[in-house]
Amino acid sequence: MAELSLQHIDKIYDNNVQAVFDFNLDVKDGELIVLVGPSGCGKSTTLRMVAGLEDISNGHLLLDGKDITQTPAKDRDMAMVFQNYALYGHMTIYENMAFSLTLRKENPNVIHKKVLAAAEILGLTSQLNKKPAQLSGGQRQRVAMGRSIVRNPKVFLFDEPLSNLDAKLRGATRREILLLHKRLQATMLYVTHDQTEALTLADRIVCMSMGHVQQVGTPLELYDSPDNVFVASFIGLPPMNFYDVKVVGNELQGNGIKVALTPEEKKTLAGYEGKEITLGVRPENFTEGEGFKVSVTNNENLGMNTLVYGTGEGGVKVTAKLKGWKNYKVGDTASFGILRKHFFDKETTNAIRGDK
Amino acid sequence: MSKNVKTAEDRLIERDRMRFVKNSACSNLCYLALLFNVFYFVLLYRQDVANYYYNIQIGASIIYNLVFMLIVFMSSESVKHYHKNYSYVLLVVGLMQIVRIFVMPTRAHNATVVVEEVTKVVMDNWTYTKAVIYLGVSAAALIYSAVLNYTRCTALEAHVKSLGEKA
Repeated sequence: MAELSLQHIDKIYDNNVQAVFDFNLDVKDGELIVLVGPSGCGKSTTLRMVAGLEDISNGHLLLDGKDITQTPAKDRDMAMVFQNYALYGHMTIYENMAFSLTLRKENPNVIHKKVLAAAEILGLTSQLNKKPAQLSGGQRQRVAMGRSIVRNPKVFLFDEPLSNLDAKLRGATRREILLLHKRLQATMLYVTHDQTEALTLADRIVCMSMGHVQQVGTPLELYDSPDNVFVASFIGLPPMNFYDVKVVGNELQGNGIKVALTPEEKKTLAGYEGKEITLGVRPENFTEGEGFKVSVTNNENLGMNTLVYGTGEGGVKVTAKLKGWKNYKVGDTASFGILRKHFFDKETTNAIRGDK
Repeated sequence: MSKNVKTAEDRLIERDRMRFVKNSACSNLCYLALLFNVFYFVLLYRQDVANYYYNIQIGASIIYNLVFMLIVFMSSESVKHYHKNYSYVLLVVGLMQIVRIFVMPTRAHNATVVVEEVTKVVMDNWTYTKAVIYLGVSAAALIYSAVLNYTRCTALEAHVKSLGEKA
């Protein structure tokens, strides 16, 4: 049982630079929360504050209802997995995994049982007598996780654990972390700047920018109903296309853009008649058909999909992700219909959802 | 049940631990033997042995000390990784430490030497006692290390064999 509550947390450094602003989050027992955002957005700082490696300037941190804001890191019963593994090179994998328990002077037989159990979970049993230098990056990261597991902490903290791995290994290790979470049912906080990791791992995602929480929600909520332009642009690959348009009657008009609105969309934009808004279209929401006419500038075949880049009237840029293998040539004219539109207030950049 | 009473499971886990944990106890006993050997030869060479023994004996003892330390150090590293054969090596050098008590210290004990017409005692009672203690402790550490390593290696071999049979 480990419920974590972050209440109005700020981080202000000694030079008055504020890295985190009013961070609020309730993490349920057994939940895997992913903090995602670009570099410098405050996600690692937040994680380090939870771990006790950074002081909390304002606000409260509660673990199972108990205020641990001022509790030293060693007494928080949390385990952190770092990007650079932080393994002891002169120790074997067994000794690395047993190290924290040895320091606590636990019974060696108990330590042995815990280490073997963790190694079994992580598929490291045959590697226990090796040194970290003899293992691959993925295996080393598993050892780092194993070192956390043996402690049986209330909360697991991961600080970009896959960043040092190559793409193939990253995918495999990501799946292992997911399996580990399902097996341990532990509360986990995971920091990454990789949206793929966030979308595939998280029960809920916290999207951050410039120290502010932009949106908290399930991966589907963030992808399907982004709260603002930042979240819409950050989640999704390739990023969402944005166009400045004006609501005129039953259509949106912009520089070289004329898009018809459905009655439902018209209802959503009821208060924006005659006003400028931002239209967002995900590349995968474009389809071949009547609508945007563009001159193709690039055609990238990805196997199952094709990315088509084009420029429309008035220099409007379009990135479309079409199903299947397409063979547009540079200079070809392509026409795309829109399956799904997102609307954002031009001034606040917040999503327009009407009365829904 | 007393806390110190080991169950069959405890003993099984202890044996299994040997697959991953170094044999530090045996290794440390070797270091202890080395340390007491250093105490011994520092003590010995501070006495006026050079005037009592032939120089070749002194030279031989110095060479033996160097060889002894090299062997014990190598053995300490080997027993750390459960090399059974080094038990025999440690046993031999351990017994040699006992033999050494009867070579130099016993012969030098209360022996006298005339240096510049002054009669001197080469090794008094207290110094002799200390030399015997140093060599005795060194020998005991080496012999205990040998026995312990042999026992552990045998247990580990049996355990690994049983794991292989289970697999």
